[in-house]
Amino acid sequence: MRLSSLGFLLHEAWLNIRRNGLMSLATLGTVTVALTVLGASLWTIFRLSEYAQFQPRRFDRIDLFLLPDVSRERAETLRDQIAHLPGVARVRLIPREQAWADLQASEPLLTEALEENPLPDKLEVEVRDIAQIQAIAHNFRDQTAYPDVERVVDAGEAVRVMLGLARVVKVVGGSASAGLFIATLFLVYNTIRLTVFARRREIRTMQLVGATPGFIRLPLLLEGLFHGVVGALLASGILLLCAREVSRFVASLRSPLIGDVPSLLSPWHVPAVLVALGALIGLVGSYLAIRRFLRPI
Amino acid sequence: MIQLQNVTVNYGNEWIALYQVSLCVNKGEFVFIVGPTGAGKSTLLKLLYREETATQGTVRVAGHDLNHMPSREVPLFRRRLGIVFQDFGLLPNKTVYENVAFALRVTGESSRTIRRKVPHVLEMVGLAHRPDAFPHQLSGGEQQRVAIARALVNDPPLLLADEPTGNLDPDTSLGIVQLLHHINVRGTTVIVATHDHTIVDRMQRRVVALERGRLVRDDQQGAYRPLLMLSEPMRS
Repeated sequence: MRLSSLGFLLHEAWLNIRRNGLMSLATLGTVTVALTVLGASLWTIFRLSEYAQFQPRRFDRIDLFLLPDVSRERAETLRDQIAHLPGVARVRLIPREQAWADLQASEPLLTEALEENPLPDKLEVEVRDIAQIQAIAHNFRDQTAYPDVERVVDAGEAVRVMLGLARVVKVVGGSASAGLFIATLFLVYNTIRLTVFARRREIRTMQLVGATPGFIRLPLLLEGLFHGVVGALLASGILLLCAREVSRFVASLRSPLIGDVPSLLSPWHVPAVLVALGALIGLVGSYLAIRRFLRPI
Repeated sequence: MIQLQNVTVNYGNEWIALYQVSLCVNKGEFVFIVGPTGAGKSTLLKLLYREETATQGTVRVAGHDLNHMPSREVPLFRRRLGIVFQDFGLLPNKTVYENVAFALRVTGESSRTIRRKVPHVLEMVGLAHRPDAFPHQLSGGEQQRVAIARALVNDPPLLLADEPTGNLDPDTSLGIVQLLHHINVRGTTVIVATHDHTIVDRMQRRVVALERGRLVRDDQQGAYRPLLMLSEPMRS
């Protein structure tokens, strides 16, 4: 294809968009709404999944409260011994004095009522795999192996429920995302098909004056690409604005479950992903619609 | 220029659009294809610009065997034809100038050639003063002139017109046919399918008549009805 022909086809695509103003606007509106819904759903599902994956990590610690008569040296030996166990990531010894100071700082009224420090030394054990936490905690409850440990505290059942929840979110979210993507593709395809259908007589005329299928197809594909990309940019703008408001609201909730969960997704990933999806949906939608009306005659 | 030998076109098993039609048109001729609605006029023309293919028989146009032409060669073949339709077939979102230029664009002509040829052909059809008008801003006769300009701009050796006056009043129809005649005088072979007996009788050119898909008459200087019938009083 000559460069002048390519320039003409680009110009042609732009003219079609401009001169079919109402139809272009309708297509753009549909694409924007569809991609906003898709983007919002994907983003929500992704964040939910991140929250669900993160929650058990809040409970990846087993607290071992030692008997009051266990010496500091004995406690340090026990700490080193536990640190070498398989599945244990880290062990920290919290001396009773430090625990008391922390408690005094956080709960002054409560500590004022007590005459002396009732807290024992404590070992905080972090596990490598959250799924193994119950098995490891169970070992610490064996009085023969750990006679110095008075009490073992772990998240137990809560962790199991949260791990299950994370799995459900992953599976349901993944399926919902795939379903939504297909639904969006069909919606956009149908809208583009309507615009192509409205111009089927033009397509026939073009064929009869000797235009090759490529010459007819390229401007229509470029129009689909334009609608997909511009619709995605508009959807991204809407999503980013909404996300800012939602973040503010969520931050104001002060729920223990909604802490500062780090995300792999930065706000700039949203337009990038949506524009890629929009371009893909626009191109595939146009291609399928054109194929329907560009049969050789 | 055109050779049809024993051409039959079937639509499914039931409907026979053309049956055993043989026809030869030489270069530079002006031919009317006449007959009532459903006689097969449009099918005959569609065979010539390869929108239809013959079920049986051979169709040769400008040296091409259209029955055996691969699909990818059809656009190139059509660029050497001019085609005019009853509904004008203009691109509604393009101006008069752009509609005519489009036929050159598809052939890959340079912008300079387009700037030279389009005003010339618009002048020829009497529309040089309305290059920026859109089709909906033109009368039926003007739209048909744009369609003829578009058909002519590539200097085709063959012009096919399917009911070019079907949507026009008698005066405008006559103007269009005179324009086609003028084009024919310049050397282009012109085939016009019509059931407009006024223009056929007035032009006194070769007339090929079809009835229910069969070629029933081929007069060198004919009229819409056979001369024998013209001498008889009209039956109600």
